[in-house]
Amino acid sequence: MLGRGLKRKLSDYEENMAGLSSRQLVLNMCLTKLQTYKMLVEPNLHRSVLIANTVRQQESNCCDLRSVEDPIENSLLIVSDDDMSSAISSILKDLDFVEDISPPTCLVPTGDDQPKFSENTGLKLEDDRQDLKGAECVFGSFEISNSTSYLKDLAIDDIFEDIDTSMYDSDFCCPPLMPPRPPSLATEEPLKTFPSCNSSSASNIQICRTDLSELDHIMEILVGS
Amino acid sequence: MSHKQAGGPPGESAVDWCLYQLNGAAEFEVSEADIISTVEFNHTGELLATGDKGGRVVIFQREPESKNEPYNQGEYNVYSTFQSHEPEFDYLKSLEIEEKINKIKWLPQQNAAHSLLSTNDKTIKLWKITERDKRPEGYNLKDEEGKLKDLSTVTSLQVPVLKPMDLMVEVTPRRIFANGHTYHVNSISVNSDCETYMSADDLRINLWHLAITDRSFNIVDIKPANMEDLTEVITASEFHPHHCNLFVYSSSKGSLRLCDMRASALCDKHSKLYEEPEDPSNRSFFSEIISSVSDVKFSHSGRYMLTRDYLTVKVWDLNMETKPVETYQVHDYLRSKLCSLYENDCIFDKFECAWNGSDSVIMTGAYNNFFRMFDRNTKRDVTLEASRESSKPRAILKPRRVCVGGKRRKDDISVDSLDFTKKILHTAWHPTENIIAIAATNNLYIFQDKVNSEMH
Repeated sequence: MLGRGLKRKLSDYEENMAGLSSRQLVLNMCLTKLQTYKMLVEPNLHRSVLIANTVRQQESNCCDLRSVEDPIENSLLIVSDDDMSSAISSILKDLDFVEDISPPTCLVPTGDDQPKFSENTGLKLEDDRQDLKGAECVFGSFEISNSTSYLKDLAIDDIFEDIDTSMYDSDFCCPPLMPPRPPSLATEEPLKTFPSCNSSSASNIQICRTDLSELDHIMEILVGS
Repeated sequence: MSHKQAGGPPGESAVDWCLYQLNGAAEFEVSEADIISTVEFNHTGELLATGDKGGRVVIFQREPESKNEPYNQGEYNVYSTFQSHEPEFDYLKSLEIEEKINKIKWLPQQNAAHSLLSTNDKTIKLWKITERDKRPEGYNLKDEEGKLKDLSTVTSLQVPVLKPMDLMVEVTPRRIFANGHTYHVNSISVNSDCETYMSADDLRINLWHLAITDRSFNIVDIKPANMEDLTEVITASEFHPHHCNLFVYSSSKGSLRLCDMRASALCDKHSKLYEEPEDPSNRSFFSEIISSVSDVKFSHSGRYMLTRDYLTVKVWDLNMETKPVETYQVHDYLRSKLCSLYENDCIFDKFECAWNGSDSVIMTGAYNNFFRMFDRNTKRDVTLEASRESSKPRAILKPRRVCVGGKRRKDDISVDSLDFTKKILHTAWHPTENIIAIAATNNLYIFQDKVNSEMH
């Protein structure tokens, strides 16, 4: 990736702008940028959205042109478009998960919304679980989503048969196998409040699972495998 | 490439601008922390605040005119420097929160003290700036060093008197508005009611009361239920200068939404949507990216809004939603270079814009340390440069010109020679006079109208 503001001959690029190869050039740059942003600890949401929209726009243009173009080239483009869609989905999902997990402290909704607050808590928790489910399904490689699927596959009881795990039991340690809520329920959410104590519940689930996977790791070391 | 923008005679300005002062180290001494990230005059223009990437705020105060020192009149001298924000670490997300000051907004002055709001990506702080130029002397129980006196030596009572002392400027943090934002704060705006203010991040806008830090109201939320559906973010927002119920926010898709807080508690539904249909002849891969609005400012009159996107500045009439009333090309010669600018990320640069006091001239920055001014009445525009080499103190700034092929005159700069690392993102215009503050990397340039400065 070039350094910022580096002066270079612009004529080479501008000549390539004509025709399909220019589209490929732009898509390649988009993919590179998305990959680079993914590696950053905190990707820039504004830029990611702009790049994602540019790619989506190209995808929709591509669909219009597909019948006209060379079929071999088509298949190459199709492959890269799918990668791009997955990359975009995973990045946006990741951003949501990373960003919204942090609960602001001491936040209270507006006065007349008070009575509905507890009802909202339940809804928000369901949304967070749905987001988790979504994150697991996506192409991207996000650590926490990996560990949740790992734990789903294991029979936890078998591993810890001879160990007292009562201190790790928690009300929230149920498997995240709830059916995803239908999208309409999420949009029916009557109020927008800050995800205060709601997402701390979601983060408790994550902390539980992390502890269990760490325990497993320790066990492996002790057993000497 | 049409020549209508860069061809023709160099723009002339009705005002002759000259460099008044330059603050900041020479360029080879720049450290990242010194890069100025925001500039703002207060409501009278007496004070000028700058914020930098290192989290510091520097306040300049204009010297009052005095006949004794004719050459120092109107000069902005450093009044106070303080560390507003420190780098923080978010342990839950393992993220460092930058201390860079994104925005500073002054509160209208209500007593002898000055107050301003400064914000980084996450936390907004209210600072109070007070002067102390007297101190009490003659305490009965304490001596001059503050030590308690031996009571047996006290034979009479005296009333402490206030004696003058060297001016001391004290800055104290009065409020810290934390934990209101999940995403990065891009704007803050003080309401005309002087009691509330709003802060906007990529997806949400919050309304705060200046006296209450543990609570804020969410008034705009554009976060979709499914983040995969996210296609638009909030890029800037501002309260109307006179109507305390109205505010505007701009988006990455180039639209403006005017919202009325009286309509509902949550202003997700706009009262007015300002959007210009895309010009099909200008369509490119990057059409959407360059339409993203980087700054929005109400005119002083409150009748118009000024927006800046990558290549243009536009004036919108609040009464007309279908298109802007005026569009000015800032650097249309870049339109054919968008691919390279996308590659080096320059296409994402966020330029600010500003009105002059009478709303007749608008200003915005560009590359190569150029900045542009557009006179709305005469339709003339001018390109000026903020650089040490071309700015002799008190000498009138020479208009610059970018040539795009065709006839090239002496002193013209060709598009390919522009330095894209020298960008003027932050500019401010004095509320009433022709004085402008331009931030070029770590340097603060203050230009004044030659006539203005000669009068003093």
